[in-house]
Amino acid sequence: MHSTELIEQIQRSLTEVVKSADELRDLDQALGDGDLGITITLGAGAVIEALAELPDGATPAEISRACAKAFANANPSTMAALVAGGLLAGSKTWKDLDNVDLSAAARFVRAAGDNIAQRGKTQIGDKTIVDAIMPAADALDAGEDGAGGLDAAIAAAEKAVIDTRSLRSRRGRAAWLQERSIGLQDPGATAMWRFLESWRTASVAARS
Amino acid sequence: MKKIINKPEDFVNEMIEGILLAHPDKLKTPGDDPRILVRADAPVAGKVGIVTGGGSGHLPLFKGYVGHGLCSGVAIGNVFSSPSSQQCFEATKAVSGGAGVLYLYGNYGGDVFNFDLAADLAELEDIETRTVVGRDDVASQPKDNRLERRGVAGLIFAYKAAGAAADRGDSLREVAAVAEDVVDNTATMGIGLSPTILPTTGALSFDLPDGEMEIGIGIHGEPGIHRGVLEPADAITDRLVDALVEDLELADGDRVAVLVNGMGATPLEELYVMYRRVHQILSGRGVAISRNYIGEYATSLEMAGASISLLKLNDDRLALLDAPASSPFFQEV
Repeated sequence: MHSTELIEQIQRSLTEVVKSADELRDLDQALGDGDLGITITLGAGAVIEALAELPDGATPAEISRACAKAFANANPSTMAALVAGGLLAGSKTWKDLDNVDLSAAARFVRAAGDNIAQRGKTQIGDKTIVDAIMPAADALDAGEDGAGGLDAAIAAAEKAVIDTRSLRSRRGRAAWLQERSIGLQDPGATAMWRFLESWRTASVAARS
Repeated sequence: MKKIINKPEDFVNEMIEGILLAHPDKLKTPGDDPRILVRADAPVAGKVGIVTGGGSGHLPLFKGYVGHGLCSGVAIGNVFSSPSSQQCFEATKAVSGGAGVLYLYGNYGGDVFNFDLAADLAELEDIETRTVVGRDDVASQPKDNRLERRGVAGLIFAYKAAGAAADRGDSLREVAAVAEDVVDNTATMGIGLSPTILPTTGALSFDLPDGEMEIGIGIHGEPGIHRGVLEPADAITDRLVDALVEDLELADGDRVAVLVNGMGATPLEELYVMYRRVHQILSGRGVAISRNYIGEYATSLEMAGASISLLKLNDDRLALLDAPASSPFFQEV
């Protein structure tokens, strides 16, 4: 995927993902402070706008950096800062690259997940977005072609999201709920899952 | 709610506007965003820049310590909330003199995440950064979990020392080491007597019945470790100082700097009553007070209450503390 195609794909995916804003808000109201729906909506809108203003010939690394800055600026929440830091870490793996393929996507997602885990002092099983990112990165890594890799990543993220229901939240505001967090689905992990689904919906739309 | 404000949403920007109008020779805002203040002479070529930041409502904390021998710039958030990563980054660019930038602020989640992201953005523009967070509030976590403690009034000692180190031309690594060393040797504990009214909502920052006190309170009204009937000044001071002496493991022959800080609505007279007791206790233990600071250094809008900070001294720390410094809110010659 080259720059123009990448920009359009990101824009279409984000237009799609904001349809999950109410679901994410509701999940976050139960476990956090309820601003995840707004973070996603404002962030997606800002990214779409920022990408429209990028000069021709922007590299994939520059595109992802622009996404990071726009997402962080749209809404200075903890989640926005973590995701933006993840995007910047991912963009470093795209240095000198002008075609994003499956393995580049896998590298990006893994670097983003590692960065968020480190910044958020969290690990798999703590019931955060990292729970969905890392299995998605594994699935992308193991994929044979773009569509198959994406399908596998979505399945892996979905399983991770369902699994978060039985976990106890260990980071962020949700950790204050302690045992009462068990049974509730993690909003951050769900956001990652919905984003991957949106990426697929947007790819299908582009092809048809 | 009785406050001298116009529209609540304009409160922070109008406060900054006032500061800039009052001190145009000392401070400036480098771009279009009024939430970033830097020294009027920033950037200083070849010197390490120091950026701090945090929520409003704590004046003089954060923006009051931008000046010579102190911080180089500050990113300013809304009342009790973090500045954005972009604001932290803009402050970084505005103070970068080519020798790197130290981030020095209090240990609060939103500030940490936004400064970390600003560090990423700075790296993209080849500005080297390091981070040291104030974590002096002994009531917020036990000593074996000290890295998770909140940063409160004791941060001022780190500003003073790191600012002096940057001014004498230390490298970024050295300035960070100075800040870290002071943070490691500073301990603070506070007491709250009445809450603040948040300008945006008109709500109280916490509930505390008349006649009660909260020992170990945070500067946003975070609950402390003990709530009970208000005690006499000496008993309160004993509680605070005993905890600090134990935390810093002070012994006969040690030297300290003492900061008795008002939270916004406690008269200076009462702070001196406390200082008198601090002096009695430390003298009794053979601990010398080499420097003292008494007044409002880190407030919580109009919260009634006070905090006591101790910095354990050695010759290096004392020399850094005594180096010249000046800002519109802090003078030391």
